[in-house]
Amino acid sequence: MKKCKFENLIDEYLFDRLDETQKETFEDHYFNCPQCFEKMEEKDEMIAVIRAKGSDIFRDDFAPAKTRRPILEPVLAFLTPRQWAMAAVSAALITVVAIGIIPRLKTNSPQFFINDDLVRGSSITLISPVIDNLNQIPSEFRWQSLGENIEYKLFIFHQEELLWNTTTKDNFVTLSVEIKSQMAPGKKYSWQVKAFSSEGSLIAVSSRVQFNFINSK
Amino acid sequence: MKKTKKEVDIDAIVAKYRPVVSFRVKKSIGVQTPDWEDIVNEIMINVVEKLKKGEFRGDSSIGTFIYTITSRRIIDFIRKKSKVLKHAPEPNPYLSPQEHIEDRERAQWIANSIEKLKPKYKEVLFLYYYKELSREEVAKKLNISPRRVSERVNYAQKLLKKIMKE
Repeated sequence: MKKCKFENLIDEYLFDRLDETQKETFEDHYFNCPQCFEKMEEKDEMIAVIRAKGSDIFRDDFAPAKTRRPILEPVLAFLTPRQWAMAAVSAALITVVAIGIIPRLKTNSPQFFINDDLVRGSSITLISPVIDNLNQIPSEFRWQSLGENIEYKLFIFHQEELLWNTTTKDNFVTLSVEIKSQMAPGKKYSWQVKAFSSEGSLIAVSSRVQFNFINSK
Repeated sequence: MKKTKKEVDIDAIVAKYRPVVSFRVKKSIGVQTPDWEDIVNEIMINVVEKLKKGEFRGDSSIGTFIYTITSRRIIDFIRKKSKVLKHAPEPNPYLSPQEHIEDRERAQWIANSIEKLKPKYKEVLFLYYYKELSREEVAKKLNISPRRVSERVNYAQKLLKKIMKE
């Protein structure tokens, strides 16, 4: 279908941008040109919808919410569409790297708990002591090794207060006599181990296990 | 013989021109004016009368003939209305509930269809029709020629029509 030369005036007419003479000429034209009239009707309907619902229709793309309108324009103008596209692509790449690749660099990461807060990371399984009512002060604290080059920090608590802590590269700690002397039978103790990578970042935390003992010998 | 042919034509003319006249009237006096339909009816009756009386002599096209009648009636209406307005404020017009729902549904349907367009087309509709920027301003923003803006707008409209037909 050949394009009518008046077609370009449809928008201008609907937006009242024509002067009186142009307007009359165009009106006379669409009384005589069914193609132009049909196009104009469609356009008019579309424009009415865009005007009424534009903030909904475009909210995801350009966020022209009424309150944000004044901010949007300088923001949009800040970059050309091409630059916006580049920015979007870069953002997408970074997201892919962050979501897809970084977690793979780490070892398996089940969930563990720190004081009831859910945290991601490896957990440490404590081996002993894990039972109550020991016959004597436990002299050795042992847990499952998480591999090479890991530094563990052992905490021993008396009720909620930290009694002692130490750092080791082994997966066990032997208590010294001084520490043992600070511990009394019948009291409630607990212990916990945290693991750190060679760079010093926390990678795993054990649960806190309670123990007590009956005799001091 | 000639007369019968004319009468057949009249029906076709009324069918063809009623929407055009309606559009013109609504555009001039506003769809909010409750009288617009009455005015369209008056114009169509007037057109039919004039055709029957043989006042259309074919010096111009039938479209122009009807356009002239329409324009005259609109001018009359606006003159009268401005006189009335000096005395009494216009009551608030309301669409009938039925019409209202149909319009709303259709509007929602169009809105949904626009949302389905590619960002490239949505963007141009957004700037051109929602922000009401001029063709040149849109062209500058999108870094394309003004002609491309028109092409893209028209293509968006075509796509929209296609989506709505699906």
